[in-house]
Amino acid sequence: MNDTKATRDASLIENQRTTIAELETPVIEVWDGILALPIIGTVDTARAQTMTETLLEKIVSTKSEIVILDITGVPVVDTSVSRHLLETIAAARLLGAEVLLVGLTSRTAITLVHLGLDLTGVTTRTTMARGLQLAFGRLGLEVVKTRPVVTP
Amino acid sequence: MIFPIVKIGNCLIATLTEDIGDADAMDLQESINTRIEATGASGVLVDISALQTIDSFLGRLLNEIATGARLLGAETVMAGMQPAVAMTLVELGLTLKGVRSALDAERGLTMLGQHLNGGGQ
Repeated sequence: MNDTKATRDASLIENQRTTIAELETPVIEVWDGILALPIIGTVDTARAQTMTETLLEKIVSTKSEIVILDITGVPVVDTSVSRHLLETIAAARLLGAEVLLVGLTSRTAITLVHLGLDLTGVTTRTTMARGLQLAFGRLGLEVVKTRPVVTP
Repeated sequence: MIFPIVKIGNCLIATLTEDIGDADAMDLQESINTRIEATGASGVLVDISALQTIDSFLGRLLNEIATGARLLGAETVMAGMQPAVAMTLVELGLTLKGVRSALDAERGLTMLGQHLNGGGQ
C-alpha cells in the first residue's frame, strides 16, 4: 500500500519537474529576427545549460540576430548567476547573434559593480521596452504612431 | 587535404569540413595567411557550418586565424557555427573575443561588406 503511494508520489514529482523545466525556458519570437528570453527565478547550472541549449537551437532555426535576455524576474544576481548569464551571452554571440541584457535594476547594477563583474561588451538596458526599442534600431526598424492616442 | 580558399572581391572565403584534422587545420591557417598577404584581402569569411564537434586545439586555432588575419590587415568572420560547437567553446572557456560571428555565410559577407565600407569612409 505504502509502496504504491510512494511510486505515485515519485511519478507526480517527476511530472512536475518536467513541467517546470519546460516552463522555465520559454524562448519567444517577439519580432522577425528578435528573440526574447524572460528568466524567472534563480539560475543554477542545470537550468543555465537547458536555457542556453534551447536558446541556441531557436537562434539557428529562426535565424534571429538579436536576443533580449530579460532578468526582471531574477531575484538576486550574484557571481554564480552572472557567470551563467555571461556564458549564455558568449554562446549566442558565437552563433552570430547579439544579446541585450534587460531588466537590470539599480540594486542589480550596484551588486554587479561591487562584485567587480566584467560586463564590458554586453549591452544592457533597464526594461524590456527599452531593449526592444534598441533591437528595432539595430535592425533598422522604427515604430511610428499612425493616429493620435485617445485617452479615455 | 587541400581546402580551397575562394577570393570574391576583397574577401577570402574558406570552408571547413566536418572531418578536419589538426594538421589540416594548421595548413588552412597557413594558407589563409599566405593568401591575405598575396591578395591584400581585407576580409576573411570562415564557414564552419559543417563542423559538428570542436576540441580545444581547433578552438584555439580559429582564434589564431582571426588574430593572424588582423595582423595582416584583414577582419575575420566565423559563419554558421552549430549550437553544440558554441556550447563546447564556452565550456572550454574559448569565447573567441576577438572574432566576429555571423548566423550564416550570406550574413557574414554582408557584415564584412558593411565593415569594409565603414572602414573605408
